[in-house]
Order: sequence, then structure tokens, then C-alpha cells
Amino acid sequence: MTNSLRGEVAIVGYGRTPYSRAKPGERILTVDQYIAGAAALALEKAGMSKRDFDGQGLGVSHAEASHTVNWSAAVAELLGISPRALIRGDQGGASASAMLIRAAAMIHAGIIDRALVVGADTPLSIPSIAPGLPLSPERTRGIFWEFQGPFGVMGANNQFGLVQTRYAHQYPMKREHLGKIAVTTRYHASLNPGAIYREPFTLEAYMNSRILSDPVRLLDCVPMVNGGLAYIVASAETAKTITDKPAYLLGCGEVSNYYSGSRTRPDITVTGFVQAAPEAFRMAGVQHHDIDVFEPYDDYPMIVLMQMEDYGFCKKGEGGKFVAERDLTFKGDFPISTDGGQLSGGQPGGAIGGFMPIVEAAAQLRGEAGPRQVKDASIAAVSGFGGIPYARNARSCITLILGSEK
Amino acid sequence: MAQMPQGKPLPAITDLTRPFWTAAKAGKLVMQKCGRCGTLDFLPKPWCIECGHLGLDWVEVKPQGTVYSHSTAYTVMMNDPAWKSDLPVVMCIIELDDGPRMYGQLTDCPPEKVRIGMRVQAHFEPISDAAAVPKFRPI
Ligand SMILES: [Zn+2]
Repeated sequence: MTNSLRGEVAIVGYGRTPYSRAKPGERILTVDQYIAGAAALALEKAGMSKRDFDGQGLGVSHAEASHTVNWSAAVAELLGISPRALIRGDQGGASASAMLIRAAAMIHAGIIDRALVVGADTPLSIPSIAPGLPLSPERTRGIFWEFQGPFGVMGANNQFGLVQTRYAHQYPMKREHLGKIAVTTRYHASLNPGAIYREPFTLEAYMNSRILSDPVRLLDCVPMVNGGLAYIVASAETAKTITDKPAYLLGCGEVSNYYSGSRTRPDITVTGFVQAAPEAFRMAGVQHHDIDVFEPYDDYPMIVLMQMEDYGFCKKGEGGKFVAERDLTFKGDFPISTDGGQLSGGQPGGAIGGFMPIVEAAAQLRGEAGPRQVKDASIAAVSGFGGIPYARNARSCITLILGSEK
Repeated sequence: MAQMPQGKPLPAITDLTRPFWTAAKAGKLVMQKCGRCGTLDFLPKPWCIECGHLGLDWVEVKPQGTVYSHSTAYTVMMNDPAWKSDLPVVMCIIELDDGPRMYGQLTDCPPEKVRIGMRVQAHFEPISDAAAVPKFRPI
């Protein structure tokens, strides 16, 4: 891959709506209301209007609430925007970062100059995957359901539980290491008014939380929320006219359906980040020690730890030791999940959580993260992670390197 | 989606997947084998994931394997509530002796006894007139 996208585009605005657990008595917003709410925040941050995106790009993530055959065009209609190019996110939790790369490529090619990228979902108000509601139609049809549902596979808790058991079999990791990640995200959530669970918990509380799918416990699991996020990406040239604090895309790397080893018997403790991350670091021209803040895809601590290894922050199998030795808080020597992550912040559906690391990285690089601001943060590493393949670990793995300077 | 009386999900059987369900109902484990490169793979695919050959033949595979990983579910998540009466469900990734891996529930084994590397043997639980689900038990 060439260096062609380095410094070509920058994030100039971002927004994240308040999240909701849709408790009785709360006003229940629809998915398009969340999209508009997030877009309005991003436009306000950038000092732009929706009219600035007529003839430009509109990126829309898949949502389980949508159920149309042309959701991105429907969103354009609902927002009253007439874009030249629609970008559709179809990679679960990697959608947000995938759309940033697609938008950057389109800007680089001169098709558009800027794009508004939105995503929202309401898993607590529609059939989806939230406990107590029926499963969504799209989750109960197709070959993956046919060979998982009737077999008794219990969703992501179970699938990541299988990955975690195998990992713990191959490498020296203690549950305490994962607990440190979970405790840290909650500490960061306590500093973020937008996070859904803000009461700090102790390592002991983590260790003793209820087993859902052994070894995965309640405090290992991402909570579902209703909510929406958005960001605005523009050519570097335009970005400078919009803001004095652009968050530049310095590098990106991506792989879907990565196999570590053979296709039929891959090592499921290794993710596609072993390919995506080095690609992104190379394009950005940065080393691991240059990273001031790491915003991993953090729906389960095990997945975070595997990213640390597969990015090369430490050797494979030494993630536990690495976590034990580092201070993961925003004040520490390896800050992660500074917004509280999805683990404590909440996940607005399986396809939207991937916006959170991008939005938080942009906030950090612009010095807008308030009480959880990493001092002098100028380079951030960001993950997108989408989907769980059959009996393996990660369908789409994307690494972005963002920086406050070109 | 068709439902059993007890509510557990049933597969919507297609011409692609019918050989698997029919064989399972007859107590046999079958998988697709590439007619060109010989790769055995699971779950059912439209072509060979190694070489892209469209000609895949259903062949019987040995119903023995080892536990590659395990995770015991104590709650129902992203599945039908009817599974509740089966909890805890000891879910495994089984590595079959013939090659492929598959999700499989381990029965006749308390959760605290399941181990990676444990030898297991398939058995087949009928779920409808047309289908059975392979499960495994320790050898
Ligand atoms: Zn082949």
C-alpha cells in the first residue's frame, strides 16, 4: 500500500448524543432522531451547516433498526441532504473506521471534498440482541444463524468466551489483567458525563461479578444502549479553513476475514490487527512509542488485550504482563479507552460502537476531553473491529492513526 | 422462522444445507469436500474457501475430535429463551479428527470437567422430522 492517504484528510467535527437505556418513562427516540442529533452536534462543533454536504459525501452505518434496501439514501432523505456520494458502513463495529478510509479515498480521488458520517441504532427499542427483546429478523436467518442458533451458541459472550479460554490455554494471562482493563474503563467513565455506567468498581467486584458465559462475566460485557454518533471528515486544505484543530488521518490499515494459519484450523488467539496495525503505522511513519493514547475497540477486555499484542505494543502472549506493568489511565504511560469505552460507556448496537474510539480520539487530539484529557496528546491509535466469524475471532480489523499535526 | 413446540430455533433448511441435516438425522456427520483440492470445511459454503472451486461433495467425516476451546453459558444470550431449561450449556469449538472445526455442545460432562484437548464423540439430537443437531460427549 502507498502512503497516498497520509495527511490527506482530517476530522473537523464530531458528535455523540446522550445514550439511553430506554427505561420506562424515558422519551424514546428513533434511529433517525439519533442520527440527526449526532449530526447536529458534529456540525455545531465544525461550524458547518447540513447544506455544506449537498454535492458532497454522506456516510451512513448499517443499523438493525433500518431494514430498508437503501438505508443510506433513506437517511439522506430524512436529513434533507443531497449528497453526490453515499458511503454505506457494512462492517459492524468496523463500519465507522471503514467509512473514514472510504471517505479519505474519495476525497483523495477528487470525487468529494468532505463527508458527514453518521451512525445510530436503538437496540433497546427494537428486536435486536438486547436481553428481554426478541432477536432481530436479520440475526435469525442465514447460514450463520442456522449453524449457531440451533446448536446453542449464546452470542458474543459465548463466542468471545471461547476465544478467551483458548487464549488462556496458550498464554500466561490472569483474569486480574482483564479486570484491570475493565476497572480502568469504568474509572474513565466516571470522568465522562456521557458514559452510561459511571460508578467505579474494584478489581474484587470484577473478579466476583456474575458468570454469564464462563470465563466471561457480567463486568466483561458491553452494555447495549440507544444512541448516535457522527463525525465530519474534510480534505486537509478545507480542514484548515474550518478549524485550527484538525485531527489528521495519518495512517490506516485494514483486513477482513483474516486467518492466522490455515483457513480450516487458524489460531483464534491472533486477530487481523497483526496485518492492519503495521500497515497503519507504516503509512503514518510512526512507532509504537509515538502513540500518546490508544482507543481500542473495547466491547470485551479480552479483545482489548489481544489488540495490544497484535498491534505490537508487546509480544504475543505477553499482553497480561504488559497490562500489569502499565498505567492504563489517562494520566498513565499507556492510556486506553479514555471515554470509558464501550464497556462502561455503552454500545449503541453492534454496528455503531466503532464510532466511539474515533470520536474520543478526535476529542483527545483537539484537547477537548475535559477531566480525562491526556496531556499533550498528539498521536492516537484507533481500532475498528467488526463481527465474529464462525468459530473464530474478528471479521473486520481496522487500525487508524490520527494526529494533530500533518 | 419455524419453531419447535418447545421453542428452540429450527434451521430453515435450504438445498445447500439439506445434506447436513438429513445425514445428522440419520446419525451421520457430513461436510463439504472440494472436488479439486480436497479441502474439507465447515459450515456449508458456496465454493471451496481454499481454491474457489464450485464443485463441493458432501462426504462423511469421522464423528470424533478434540475440544479446541470451551465456554459454558449460564444465561441465554442472542438465542431463543427456550434454551433456558438446558442451562448451563457447555459450548465448545470441536476440532474434528478429519480437519474442520465446528461449534458443538458438550453433553454428559459437568462444566467443571471440560478441558481443552478432551477427546469427544458426536451424537445426534433430533430436533424435527427433517433435522438433528450434532452434540458431543467425552469418549
Ligand atoms: Zn478447493
